[in-house]
Amino acid sequence: MEAYDASETGETLETFTVVQKLEDLLLVSVPRDLTDNDVLRLRQQVLRDIRRNDSRWVLLDFSLVDICDSFFGRFIHSTAQMAKLMGADVIVAGLQDAVVETMVELGMTLPNIHAVLDLDDALALSREYQALERERGAGSAPSGRDEGGSQASNESEEWDAFYTDSSLDDWTGV
Amino acid sequence: MAEDLSKKEYFPINSLVDVVRARRRGLEMAQAIGFPLAEATKIAVVISELGRNIERYVGQGSITVTAHVEDEKYILIIAQDGGPGIPDVERALAGGYSTSGGLGLGLAGSKRLMDKFDIQSIASVGTTIKAVKWLR
Repeated sequence: MEAYDASETGETLETFTVVQKLEDLLLVSVPRDLTDNDVLRLRQQVLRDIRRNDSRWVLLDFSLVDICDSFFGRFIHSTAQMAKLMGADVIVAGLQDAVVETMVELGMTLPNIHAVLDLDDALALSREYQALERERGAGSAPSGRDEGGSQASNESEEWDAFYTDSSLDDWTGV
Repeated sequence: MAEDLSKKEYFPINSLVDVVRARRRGLEMAQAIGFPLAEATKIAVVISELGRNIERYVGQGSITVTAHVEDEKYILIIAQDGGPGIPDVERALAGGYSTSGGLGLGLAGSKRLMDKFDIQSIASVGTTIKAVKWLR
């Protein structure tokens, strides 16, 4: 079914990634398997497209992903951090039941990230915020309206703690 | 194909492509002996975590997956490498929630996903991790 294409240089598994624009959303279809190179490429593409389309939200569609390890968790987190710096928030959608169960048991959490069931819910969420912003008058970025406040930022620090690369290197003891 | 006998498959790990192949096959093997999807997914994620560790920190090694079906049904994963070894196994396993890094999540999380999880690591000789999940 899938072709494992082990190209000699710059290992990559992903066949294609679709990044599309829908209203305020940038839709990213997360490939089933990710290598470090795929992650780098995908992130660059997402950042470029946020700028190009002035997107407020990045929707990571996980419906193709059936094996989600801690590497995917790091991918979501780092993408969210980068998007945030460009004034966009990340929404995760389409997580399968078995994937969710495994993620929780593995210890993965997604602080500061919106999760919705599907594209309809993501669209509803973005429109809700859009309406809210219009009411307020000011065109503030979605980052400006954090209600979850202090707790959310604590969680984020914890997350940072276990996803920093320096501590990964530390483990090897070399 | 009728998979009613115990099966053992060996996967050399040299690249991430190998990791992907091993975890896909692990998922199939677990489902073939009756693991429901959610449980088979956990097994596949553990294969993925262990495989990525080998690929990232050592460069090469192997993963052997056994689907045992005789008296009892279980999946046994053996991950082996000839790398530098894990200096502090206790810490690597305890980690994940505070300061020990992404790998802490990988190993500690993998342990939570399995019923039995055993690490043998000798400095500059290598690491062998054995993990078992029984079908209930």
